[in-house]
Amino acid sequence: MRLENRWRFNVLAVLFGLAGVIIFIQTIRLQIIPAGKAIRQEGDDRFQGVLLDIDAPRGQIYDRTGHLLAGNKIVYEVGIQLEYVEEPSAIAQVLNAVLGMDYYEALDIANIPYNEEDAVYAVVERRVPAEKAALISSFIEQWVERKESGVQEGNLDGLVIFPYLHRNYPEGDLASSVIGFVAFDEEGYEEIGYYGLEEEYNDSLAGTKQKVWVPFNPNYVTETRHVPTGVSLVLTLDRDIQMMVEDMVDKAIEDYHALSATIIVMNPENGEIYAMSSTPHLDLNEFWKLGEVYPPEIPFNRGVSQAFEPGSVFKIFTMAAALDAEKVTPETTFDDTGSINVGGIIIKNWNEDAWWEQDMIGCLRHSLNVCLAWVGTQLEADLFYQYMNAFGFGTKTGVDLAWEAYGRLKEPGDGDWYPSDLGTNTFGQGVSVTPIQLIMAASAMANDGKMMVPHVVRSIIDGNSQYNIHPQVAGQPVSAETARVLTDMLAISLEKEASSATVSGYRLAGKTGTAQISMGKAGYTKDRTNASFIGWGPLPDVRFLVYIWLEKPTTSIWGSEVAAPIFPEVVEELVVLMDIPSDDVRNALFSQ
Amino acid sequence: MDRSLKIFQAYKKTPWRRQLQVIGLVSASVVFVAIVAGVYLNVTARAATYGREIQSIRRESREIEREIEDLQSHLANLTSARDMKKRAKDLGFISINPVTAVYLEIPTYPEEQPIELAPELRPPETPLVPQLPPQYTQSLFEWIREAMYKISLKTGAVE
Repeated sequence: MRLENRWRFNVLAVLFGLAGVIIFIQTIRLQIIPAGKAIRQEGDDRFQGVLLDIDAPRGQIYDRTGHLLAGNKIVYEVGIQLEYVEEPSAIAQVLNAVLGMDYYEALDIANIPYNEEDAVYAVVERRVPAEKAALISSFIEQWVERKESGVQEGNLDGLVIFPYLHRNYPEGDLASSVIGFVAFDEEGYEEIGYYGLEEEYNDSLAGTKQKVWVPFNPNYVTETRHVPTGVSLVLTLDRDIQMMVEDMVDKAIEDYHALSATIIVMNPENGEIYAMSSTPHLDLNEFWKLGEVYPPEIPFNRGVSQAFEPGSVFKIFTMAAALDAEKVTPETTFDDTGSINVGGIIIKNWNEDAWWEQDMIGCLRHSLNVCLAWVGTQLEADLFYQYMNAFGFGTKTGVDLAWEAYGRLKEPGDGDWYPSDLGTNTFGQGVSVTPIQLIMAASAMANDGKMMVPHVVRSIIDGNSQYNIHPQVAGQPVSAETARVLTDMLAISLEKEASSATVSGYRLAGKTGTAQISMGKAGYTKDRTNASFIGWGPLPDVRFLVYIWLEKPTTSIWGSEVAAPIFPEVVEELVVLMDIPSDDVRNALFSQ
Repeated sequence: MDRSLKIFQAYKKTPWRRQLQVIGLVSASVVFVAIVAGVYLNVTARAATYGREIQSIRRESREIEREIEDLQSHLANLTSARDMKKRAKDLGFISINPVTAVYLEIPTYPEEQPIELAPELRPPETPLVPQLPPQYTQSLFEWIREAMYKISLKTGAVE
């Protein structure tokens, strides 16, 4: 080595040495200073992978035969990545042309200045259908081609579109009040369930929203966690029975000009609800019309959320209690003089007439308030309310639907209970119940005294396993013998009195109800009623229990004239859909 | 003395042999490193390729799952209750009258059962333990220890 070149090597050596020292110091600094951790993390995040919010597909909802009632379909979200926007007017033009969005509104969004902290991405529109999404994609593709050929005009950089799964209800408004719907929450960030099953089972259906680390390094690919989908539900509802019931509900509104109509069909043996419908119906695919369809005072599902005074259908529980407590028998007679004084108020019959000597079947058959009030006095308050509590009035049934109401059963000891309430409560006045409470209580009569918890979910499918939900007994308010006797009494009274509620070939039990509507301190309306009917059959092996409630019908105020005629119409369809032959055929088959 | 010097010189390596030795050693090292690097590169490249494939398949799987959900919804839309009822009516079907309906007894005909979309969850019949042979689950150290234990059993060192 020549001496004159040595200094060059020395300079190089010093430079390399310095670089080494700087690298060493920086390495130590990054390891020691607190900010170094953040810098390292940023490096990791940027170069090693990405943390993604992954929403598992929402679980599906099927009817009992496997028909899809709520599924998911691909829709698109159109958005703008503000960092990359170069020509906002071009983006606004596309959004205006394809989505029909106001040009200036779109321009305002595209003009939002990028800010790493709080303005990175702007949602333009969600639930964009596939056709429009394809059109936007083609615009973006055309721009990419133009860009490659050097053209600068019509820059759509920043405009993005991506697919996601959105709730779809193939049956539209069928069982809408049971299912509920899915929409974005108030912050517009997360889709959640509203009303019905979608709300009640939201956490399970939605699955767990997870932050998943997706590494760029393919060697670590197996470390990516799998995000499981939400659970799916198989309902007890039968799509065909539900459709039939909904048609009946609509027909009832049309025929009797009622304010609302509700029908529930349940299997009293296990509490499975086959159908539940109440007006109005909302097309769940257009959930944003909720405000139009449901004025604020109307509950989404009257079947579980609206309590009202049930009227004479309540007499079956009073009679059941008296029979069970052995205060009366079907043969017990009562001399109905047309009025009775209970707790200081005079109670009269529906027609204000005297019906003279009646046995207990006659009392039910003619729906005599005076007779039932007398039955109540035989029970006395403590025993009467003990039975009513056992029937579950005033408490939730535990049905697996959101927004269940309590109803109200005033009892001795409550500040607003008076001795006269015993008299009026016996025939369903001064007590408020929900349709689901009534049908659960009545299931005791149709199921040998055992009251079943109503439910609409039959199975839960989690991954590759199906959990079947087993029927639950809510209690046994009366004995099997009492239930059978009362059912027989109701069947006889139905056959003799409300002929409009009978079905040829099938023995059924049932009771009408007509309840005047309370106006608070102003008393009760005369011309507006809650008309109802509860019935079950075929006897003796009961397969269905039907409750019908019409709110304020105008063609007639009487349950026997508006609600009772709907019952045989429902049953005639029901026996076909459920493959239940007539009594003669069944008896012939069983006797073989 | 001259004789011993001659012998020493005769056995002393010539400079070219030394050079050759060094070159050989370096070459061998380079070849060894190259082989190790090559194997490592090969394994890494294959792992990376498979990793990429897995990533791609997962992405594809997510897309297919999404498409399946979409198609299921589409199918359900086409076969909705009201549409099917309308089609049945258009084809001339009428509702059965329960009074005129004729029922036939078919002893083996099963009553319509609610749908089972997945096997019902029951307690596992076999214990939840790995079914893999120990060769796949134990470490090298465990394997050696076990082997030594077995040998010691055979030799009678351990009872």
